[in-house]
Amino acid sequence: MSLNLNEFLGRTKSLFRKRRMNREMAEELEFHQSLLRERLVRDGLSQSQARATARRTFGNTARWHERLHELWQFRTLENLFRDITFSIRLLRKTPGFTVIALLTLALGVGANTAVFSLVNSLLLRPLSIPRGDELLVIGMDSDQPNIGYSFPVPFFRGLESKHELFQNLFAFFSTTMQVRGQSANETIPGTLVSADYFTALESPPILGRYLTPEDDRPSGSPEGLAAVISEGFWQSWFNRSPNVIGSRLTIANTAFTVVGVMPKRFIGADPLRRPSIFVPLSTEPIIDAPQDMIKAGTHAWWITVMGRRQNGLTLEQINVALKSISMPIVRDAASDNPSQIKRFEKEHYHFVAESGSRGFTYIRASFRKPLVALFCMCGGILLLACLNLASLLMARGAARERELATRLAMGATRRRLIQQLLIESLLLALAGTAIGLTLAPLVSQSLAVTLLGGAGGDGVHLDTSPDLRVFSFAAAIALFSTGLIGLIPAIHATSGSLNEHIKDGQHAASGHRRNRLQPIMLASEVALALILVVGAGLFATSLVRLFTSGAGFNPKGVVNISLSMDKQPLDGDPLMRLYQQIGEGLSHQPGVSAVSFARIIPLTHFTWDEDHARPGGVSHDLYMNGVGPSYFQAMSIPMYQGRDFRWSDTIPSGRKLIINQSAAHLFFPNQSPIGQHLLRGGKKDDFEIVAVVGDAKYENLRDTPPAAAYVPITQIEDKKPSFNVVVKTAGPIAPLAATARTLTTRLAPDIPAPVLTTMENAVQENISTERVMAMLSVFFACCALLVTGIGLYGTLAYNTSRRTSEIGIRMALGAKRSSVMALVFRSNAVVAAFGLAAGLAAALAASRALSSFLYETSPRDPWIIISAVLSLGIIASVASLYPALRAARIEPIAAIRCE
Amino acid sequence: MLREETQDSGDLIQGTLEMLVLKALARGPLHGYAVAEWIHQTSQQLLKVEEGALYPALHRLELRGLLSANWGASENNRRAKFYQLTAEGKKRLNTESSRWARLSAAVAFVMQAT
Repeated sequence: MSLNLNEFLGRTKSLFRKRRMNREMAEELEFHQSLLRERLVRDGLSQSQARATARRTFGNTARWHERLHELWQFRTLENLFRDITFSIRLLRKTPGFTVIALLTLALGVGANTAVFSLVNSLLLRPLSIPRGDELLVIGMDSDQPNIGYSFPVPFFRGLESKHELFQNLFAFFSTTMQVRGQSANETIPGTLVSADYFTALESPPILGRYLTPEDDRPSGSPEGLAAVISEGFWQSWFNRSPNVIGSRLTIANTAFTVVGVMPKRFIGADPLRRPSIFVPLSTEPIIDAPQDMIKAGTHAWWITVMGRRQNGLTLEQINVALKSISMPIVRDAASDNPSQIKRFEKEHYHFVAESGSRGFTYIRASFRKPLVALFCMCGGILLLACLNLASLLMARGAARERELATRLAMGATRRRLIQQLLIESLLLALAGTAIGLTLAPLVSQSLAVTLLGGAGGDGVHLDTSPDLRVFSFAAAIALFSTGLIGLIPAIHATSGSLNEHIKDGQHAASGHRRNRLQPIMLASEVALALILVVGAGLFATSLVRLFTSGAGFNPKGVVNISLSMDKQPLDGDPLMRLYQQIGEGLSHQPGVSAVSFARIIPLTHFTWDEDHARPGGVSHDLYMNGVGPSYFQAMSIPMYQGRDFRWSDTIPSGRKLIINQSAAHLFFPNQSPIGQHLLRGGKKDDFEIVAVVGDAKYENLRDTPPAAAYVPITQIEDKKPSFNVVVKTAGPIAPLAATARTLTTRLAPDIPAPVLTTMENAVQENISTERVMAMLSVFFACCALLVTGIGLYGTLAYNTSRRTSEIGIRMALGAKRSSVMALVFRSNAVVAAFGLAAGLAAALAASRALSSFLYETSPRDPWIIISAVLSLGIIASVASLYPALRAARIEPIAAIRCE
Repeated sequence: MLREETQDSGDLIQGTLEMLVLKALARGPLHGYAVAEWIHQTSQQLLKVEEGALYPALHRLELRGLLSANWGASENNRRAKFYQLTAEGKKRLNTESSRWARLSAAVAFVMQAT
């Protein structure tokens, strides 16, 4: 039947107007009948005779309706609806199967989509900047393993003039700024930007103007210091006042004028930051006062450099050009730093350009590998779920063989049967996928928060909202999983000849057709599950070892309170007295056993290192910290020799140093360091060593404790240094925060509110990636074990139920129950064995890729592998046990009778 | 359709009935009974259209867009379904009738041969 448009429309209409059409048809026929009756009466018949004759002519009314109906119905659609309702009914009859199928699929799809949106937002998504493919990120490559992306200003200036390579070049630095609010300063995230930043990013402001080269001068433009704010800041700070342009912002105790507002979707060149304020780079001495990184020239590496490449140049051409001009620029820019020039020449430093269409964030490098690993795990789980569902559906289809054969005999085409089976699988797949996709955004958001944790410090935002790429990915996996799950069982179930089907079913003579696909799928499932379990074991063990590796200090009960002193008026001795007062006030809190100060909190990714040497000796790099008296007591770091710092240890009394054991072994392998002297490289300052303390982890829990040294805070020469209060307390923490705030409001009212964190938190955040990886991999492994177990159980149960009569005959002929059990058990055992072997081989091969994640754990750790194999073996055995027991309890008579 | 045939098989026979129905409606809209009556009368009472064939034919033609249907009042003011030719239907009528003319001429040639 050729389906033309009219027919199609007509049939579709009939779908929705069924009742009306039936009524009309009945009316039409009744009309005809009445006219016929009248004519018969006119021809001479009586009323009753006429009626009877008319009815006879027409025949069966129901048949009429059917025939006319047949013309109009939209057969394919009606079949579809019928199949769907039938499938739903079937699925409702086996709720256990349906629920598990939906859940496993939802898990696989949801996890994959969630992780992919993370991958997308962190690794793939480009900035929404016009012609973003022209953007470049500049880095510095050398013989050292990593590329550096932070530059000193003189190098940037050297590159800025190379217009033959770059249309424009810009630099930026993300920081927090102290902005005067109602009563005190508040910390607001912002970015320092160079002259061409806004012109290069080509995003117009919604109000006013953006910063131009005129603003990027030390004293600003003739109108004063300019600042551009974000739309969000305009909302929160100025209440969207239309008079915001020209209003004043006091940043770092200096007056800035708001000259423009940027739209909400503009976030700059770092996709992870949401700066509220943009100020010119030249105002850095004001913002960072009393520090001045611009003045520090080539000693301060702080800005990120990006730009647009010149038209017609490719990335490779630019890199070739950069290689040749790197050293001339360095020599010119670092003319006051000859040792640096020498080091650069020796280690072949040169500039490199990379694609910057996705902006730049240093977090990307550290998270690429964990995210990719996570993605692979999710892919494994999805594949597992699909294989499981497909094999379960196949088993179910096999159990329905008789029903299908009967349908075939009654005239259903094979196509119709496949369609019905396909619909059933598709329904499951679609429902499971839909559930997974709805949950995915929630999961990805919470995953982003946990994974990134404190990685970038405050103000790191990962936008995991789905975009086109995520949607197409989700659609792709949905299609893939539904295809896999749907087609395989459907085609398989209707293969084979009709007679065989009818004779099969539960007949003993079947010698059941060897379904070759199913064992392969189950074995692959087992293999995948083993890989996931091994991975989980490795991550979990690594995490435990990391956690218990000891930090060298005891974080329990240690609280850090950060104070920002750089914008308040006191300095020097008065500032030290202020610190002392604060410390004193806190030490009176109940439960506090020690109070001290530290410039750097361990494990927070802040570093400070200096070269030291014995007089006339070789210089070594030491990691530094500035600490107050009682620091080692507060942190429970053992002091092996010497004495602690005192408040009286100021510079006039002689520079003091405390070194740790590694440093002691480094410099003084054969003698006591106490009383000895070390010289600090550049400044030739002389330090007397007063104590030796235990080693402690510095930046990372993973790295071994470096050789380190401590100076007293009273001898730190920075202007208005900001220190953290380190409090060791056995009591509650919340009152400490309140006390700290009251103390600072009373003693230093200008400073922003102190921020309280616990050392235990810092430790947790330091290993947050490892924690998340371990948690997720264990979760996935448990799911994998569960799903595989259910799959093994389900398929075995179905397969066994088909062999009831065979088993009955065997037992009637004398087989013992135990041998029947063994028979049933064996089929699964073989599958599981193959799967374990394959999985083992794959796990051993793939685990090498994980070695960079692991801490003190070999990727081929025999204990982990053995326990993984054992656990999977136990699951497989338990799963096969119940059907085997059921098979053994079959009564021979009952089994044969159902033949 | 024709009394002699009891089954509507073969496209030729079915097509012939549909052609007759189209012709019946060429003169204006009619309801189903009127169509059968007109064919019966116009064929000198030789052709009697069975109801079992008429209505499927009418509905088929309506489905294919060759006829359009409207409910209206019959001669004795009762509600009836009236069919009328669409432009498509008129075109089809012309092609069918010229095809029929050619066909019957061809058959005549064959039967007149000795």
